[in-house]
Amino acid sequence: MPRILIVEDDDRIRIALRLMFEGEGFVVDDAPTGEVGVALFNRMTSDIAIVDIMLPAMTGFETCQAIRATSDVPIVIVSARDDTADVVLGLESGADDYVTKPFVPEELLARVRAHLRRRPEKSAKAFGLGNLHVIPDEGVVRHRDGTELHLTSTEFRLLTDLASANGKILSREDLLERVWGYDYFGDSRLVDVHIRRLRTKIEPDPSNPLYLVTVRGAGYKLVL
Amino acid sequence: MHRRSLRLRLLVTFGLGAFILSSVFASLTYVGLKHILVSDQQQTDLRQVYVNAALVRTTLYTSPPELPNVLNSIEKATDSNVLIQTHNQWLSESGGAATTDVSNDMIQAADGGKPTEQTLNVNGQEIFVVGVPIPSVESQFFEVFQLAALEHTLNLLLLVVGAGAILTLVIGISGGLWVTRRTVRPLERVSAAAALIAGGELTTRLVTDNTDREVQQLTESFNAMVSQLVERLERDARFASDVSHELRSPLTTLATTATVLSQHRDDLSPVAQQSLDLLVGDLAVFQSLVEDLLEIARSDAGAAPLVIETVSAVELVRQSIRSASQHHGVNAPLVAVASDVHDPMVNVDRRRFERVMSNLIDNAHHYAGGAVAIRILVDDETLIINVDDAGEGVPVDEQDQVFQRFFRGRAAHDRGIARGTGLGLALVRDHVQTFGGTITVQESPEGGARFQICLPLQKSIVP
Repeated sequence: MPRILIVEDDDRIRIALRLMFEGEGFVVDDAPTGEVGVALFNRMTSDIAIVDIMLPAMTGFETCQAIRATSDVPIVIVSARDDTADVVLGLESGADDYVTKPFVPEELLARVRAHLRRRPEKSAKAFGLGNLHVIPDEGVVRHRDGTELHLTSTEFRLLTDLASANGKILSREDLLERVWGYDYFGDSRLVDVHIRRLRTKIEPDPSNPLYLVTVRGAGYKLVL
Repeated sequence: MHRRSLRLRLLVTFGLGAFILSSVFASLTYVGLKHILVSDQQQTDLRQVYVNAALVRTTLYTSPPELPNVLNSIEKATDSNVLIQTHNQWLSESGGAATTDVSNDMIQAADGGKPTEQTLNVNGQEIFVVGVPIPSVESQFFEVFQLAALEHTLNLLLLVVGAGAILTLVIGISGGLWVTRRTVRPLERVSAAAALIAGGELTTRLVTDNTDREVQQLTESFNAMVSQLVERLERDARFASDVSHELRSPLTTLATTATVLSQHRDDLSPVAQQSLDLLVGDLAVFQSLVEDLLEIARSDAGAAPLVIETVSAVELVRQSIRSASQHHGVNAPLVAVASDVHDPMVNVDRRRFERVMSNLIDNAHHYAGGAVAIRILVDDETLIINVDDAGEGVPVDEQDQVFQRFFRGRAAHDRGIARGTGLGLALVRDHVQTFGGTITVQESPEGGARFQICLPLQKSIVP
């Protein structure tokens, strides 16, 4: 049974979400604050986390960063506003996805399921990328000296999917479909922010990408 | 109504005023001075004439042969011409004067013993003729004075006075210009500021650099008015935003709880099941309404930042349509791209564009049984996106009104459709206009409605 962590300060919403996810067969840990949430997460090893941005004391952004520091499980943030700045800040903090209040519960469910379902393609071949060596089978990226480069599961998936396109351009739509799940109501900002974050990890100069290049008006491609 | 220019009127008033004043002063000065000068001259001349007449009488008495010399010296001394007549015979004629200068009236008057004077114009020359009888020698003495010297003075006077008048006029017009500028400029500034504010530049204020009390008052009142207006606008927008914000948490709980209830639907009695269905259905409407309200309140309040990007129109439309169809739980309509269209680019805010397509799909779903096709074509510099349905179409007289907030058409009333929020199409139009585009509704080839979005194409792709 998948284990989900819900960090939400509104008691009623938290209880309702707990009931809903339990009804869908999840094991639910819930926390009213970021501090409690991070502590619970470290103890329980959840498979996925839902974090409200508007939290007292420790903000949702900080909570995301704290979870991301120790784990690469998918994090879905719940934003009160879908202002670009908020969403981007949330995604930059390590979240993989976001929904805005008032969200459609079925949509949140669908997203959580999509995140749990996706796994790196095991069949994909290992490939080199500059000084990096990507091994999809093991789900790791190594520097030439053998040290591991840490990518979140979404970043890893993004990288391997772009690689498996063999240099073809993938549109944001394609990437949303492949990386975030097929039956998915997505937002292209998700792709853009993750691409940017991935670049800071794999590109020598993220502002002048060599490998992960933007094809204006079309999408992205990986130059191997 | 014919609109007169305040600037022109002020200028004309000042100019005309200065002109009339200077003319009147100049005329009065000239006429007055002329009168004084002429009468002074004539008094002097008259006195001279009597003295000269006495001298002539004495000469005629004592030594008539000396007369020419005497006359000569008189003429030299007074710069005049002297004529003497005795018994209808001219006794002496000097070089310059002609006997014709003296009229018969004057001769008769002098003959009758009456002194006379007359101002005449002979060959364009003003002359002053004085006739004095000298009864003791039965003669008449006439002296003709040239007024040319006086005329010269008068001409000079006229010149000076005229120059003064013109100077006054120029000063008057300059003063008029200055006053006009000073008066009209604040008005023009107010007008320009008001136009800016009406155009949406709500931060526009007047600058208080004018020291005139009235202008300062106007400036301050204007700025205060704008501030209050902006505050009022912001308060209204914030109110809608706040209300929707406050609704979100309970709405989230409600929707989630309804989902929980739906999970346990089979455990419910038929009555409870039916109630649950009603609840779930209207919660969805409620949710859309709050989302639309939030969106509209944000764009009214200017709170939502506009992120304009150059994007591939076809890619974005495809993605938006698929997302929207997924979101609303409907089958995605076909996206047909005209064969001559090669990856057109447009400048839009992705999120808002997705919202536009989503609302159009939703609208077609609620009122026309769903969109049947999305057609993308390019006409010159314009990208055209047609969202077609096979419903009943929009009546011609409602084709503009459907984009108004909370407008409900007759068809919706007749069929008892109450699913829409009444804000969807209004939002669509707001957003499309933000991108510099237009949206209209017409009849589709399928017989239903065609919502047509026209967006300016971004021709040059910057690499």
